[in-house]
Amino acid sequence: MDRVSRHPMRRILLAAVLLVAMVGVFVVRLVDIQVVRAAELNQESTQVRSETRTLYGTRGEIVDANGTVLADSVMRYDIALSPKQAASGPLVREEPDPADPAKTIDVDVPLDQVLAELGAVIGKPAAQLQQLIDDSLAADPDSDFAYAAKLVDTETYEQVKKLDIPWVVPYEHPGRRYPNGAVAGNLIGFMGDDGDALAGLELSEDQCLAAENGESSFLHSLKDWVAIPGSEVVHKQARDGGDLQLTIDSDLQWDVQRIAAAQVQATGAQWATVTVMEAKTGRLLAVADVPTVDPNDPAGVASDDRGSRSFTAPFEPGSTLKALTAASVIDAGKADPLSQVVAPYRYLPPNGADINDSFFHDDTRYTLTGVLIDSSNTGMSLFGERLTDEQRYQDFLDFGLGNPTEVGFPSEASGDLHGGPDGWDNQTKYATMFGQGLTTTALQIASVYQTIANGGVRMPVTLVEGCRAPDGTVTENPSTEGRQVISEQAADQTSQMLERVYADGWLSDVWQIPGYRVAAKTGTAQVPDGQGGYQSGYLVSVSGFAPADDPEFVVSVSIMDPVKMNSSAASAPVFQQVMSQVLKKYRTVPSGAPAPELPATW
Amino acid sequence: MSALPAQTRPPRARAAQPRPDRRTTSAAAEPRLRPAPDRALGRAKPRLVYAIVAVGSIGVIAIAQLLLSIAMTQGAYELDGYQIRQAQLARDEAKLSEDLDGVESPQFLAANAEALGMVPNSDPVYLRLSDGAVLGVPTAADGGAVASGPLVPNSLIDGVPLVTEQQAAQTPSGGQGAGIGAAPAAEPAATTPPAPAEGLPTPATH
Repeated sequence: MDRVSRHPMRRILLAAVLLVAMVGVFVVRLVDIQVVRAAELNQESTQVRSETRTLYGTRGEIVDANGTVLADSVMRYDIALSPKQAASGPLVREEPDPADPAKTIDVDVPLDQVLAELGAVIGKPAAQLQQLIDDSLAADPDSDFAYAAKLVDTETYEQVKKLDIPWVVPYEHPGRRYPNGAVAGNLIGFMGDDGDALAGLELSEDQCLAAENGESSFLHSLKDWVAIPGSEVVHKQARDGGDLQLTIDSDLQWDVQRIAAAQVQATGAQWATVTVMEAKTGRLLAVADVPTVDPNDPAGVASDDRGSRSFTAPFEPGSTLKALTAASVIDAGKADPLSQVVAPYRYLPPNGADINDSFFHDDTRYTLTGVLIDSSNTGMSLFGERLTDEQRYQDFLDFGLGNPTEVGFPSEASGDLHGGPDGWDNQTKYATMFGQGLTTTALQIASVYQTIANGGVRMPVTLVEGCRAPDGTVTENPSTEGRQVISEQAADQTSQMLERVYADGWLSDVWQIPGYRVAAKTGTAQVPDGQGGYQSGYLVSVSGFAPADDPEFVVSVSIMDPVKMNSSAASAPVFQQVMSQVLKKYRTVPSGAPAPELPATW
Repeated sequence: MSALPAQTRPPRARAAQPRPDRRTTSAAAEPRLRPAPDRALGRAKPRLVYAIVAVGSIGVIAIAQLLLSIAMTQGAYELDGYQIRQAQLARDEAKLSEDLDGVESPQFLAANAEALGMVPNSDPVYLRLSDGAVLGVPTAADGGAVASGPLVPNSLIDGVPLVTEQQAAQTPSGGQGAGIGAAPAAEPAATTPPAPAEGLPTPATH
């Protein structure tokens, strides 16, 4: 009995000890694998078995005020080849057997022929591809990767796939496309081949537009790389970029660019800018810069022409600025449209400056209106000196000169006021009254006229309507808060004088828009040559607004050095065509009564 | 463990009674010993059923899993096929919408309008319905506007044939812009609209 009952106990004990020991070993191993080395092992296994895939986030679109797409994201493809594999021997390809069409035979295709086929598809000569392979192999005999073409379109991608060359591999590469070509290309900017924003709004609004790529991995079958169901793991979600809406109208922008480009061609000018702005809101409807970059092909124009001169190239505005001086003088109560001066051809103020008019005349008894109509520098000086330099400088700043506009365009210029009255010499003190000796951008001049047109209230210059995130939230809403710069009365009186300039000025036949009251002023400014003197060519400009009885639109035109017609007669037809197109497009009701008469002389 | 009571019980039963005659008691003693083998036999039968059920279930589960796995693998290939098809269709869609965006551009519209002989009129005239007043000065559009095509370039529509060229050729020229010409070219050249029979057409209302 003892033997029988004691023996099982020992066995049980032994078994228990063994069991505990084994479980212990397993637990230790389990903890080691699942906890201590878990991350390391997981990574190792993932590397061995799975394939990672990039989840592309879509960069946001740039759309115009009506939702027309100006820039959108598309999938493009990079075509890579393996030089080592290419050089390793002829390509074996299955082709129908000429003897028996039901069967196929293997045919050796020599490298020359393969390269010719590939070259025909991606648009490169076979010799160039051969050169690429030779160069890669010369640099590294084991070279296994070289780009044959970058950013090819879907059509080309499919043709390359159809060639079925084992050592040619296409890779996805998100690209950017601008369906309207050069329309607003100056504003939109463009992207580099590697996906970096290089210019324009693409660059300045990158934070809104940029997407973020995600990553996922999946297990696949060994031979044909079919994903095993349920094995996909998203490591990081892709994030789409936001859509950027502009205040630009793409149809109007196209028309304005067309008109400006035609005039640049006709007059042999270097460049031209045209700005169309809503008078009541400060929203930009069109900003044309000619020559204009086609963002699909930025290399098509010179590097200086790839931006927007309206924002980045300040110039001495010339006589268009006389409207600002006149408004300042009226606002300060020192004159009204009928105030009288006797303007000589040459005026020598007590401080030693020397002011001339651009045309010879005897002493003329001008009203302030007449000074603007004939664009007399001496007459303007006689009115401008009624204000202190400090007062005029403060008005410059209030009108937005000397600071970049609210748009914040990349490398937008602030214009140069030479530090205010303290930095002005005696000549500059007078020259600033008629737009020389200081620089402004085309946008700043448009903004000055917007202020005059809008009853003296300057509205922030707006180019971006907002940024719409993928979840629908809209940010970057533009400010709509205006600022009273001059009194409404001063603005209205200035506007009436500018109407007389339009009606009675020397270009009145050229820029007539039948049925509408228009206020406008020309400028023919000398351009610094960068060495203290002036170039021979002029920057000719026209700025104005219509309908003058209830201003809706501001148009500002600047043309640089139109060699075949070196006066503001070159810019006037552009102003006329653009303004009538704007009035027509927005169904503006023609003015009823004619502009009030104001005498130019006394 | 049931072997132990079976061993000990008969001696105890024997001790409780006076020794009987072997011949007479043998018949009475035999039934008392019978249950042990009976019970052993009775237990063995259900065990086999359970084993069959258990092993069978495992087999069924294994086969079911195998079938499921086969179905899933088959599904994976089907899924892969559909995904490839979807990618192909997405590429087709991208190609077509790229074509469409190109021909929607103002450059292409303007070039077509010019090719059809249209000219812009920059003098708008309005008819005010309240009093029939004509606002603005009616002026005929002057033709001879310069071709606007090259003025505002668009490299996306290079080589895409205009409406007029498509009508002359009648067949799309192939390539990326191939689909564009199909719709207008299909219609016969409606260059002159039919003149209305009795003045301006008016809608029939009752």
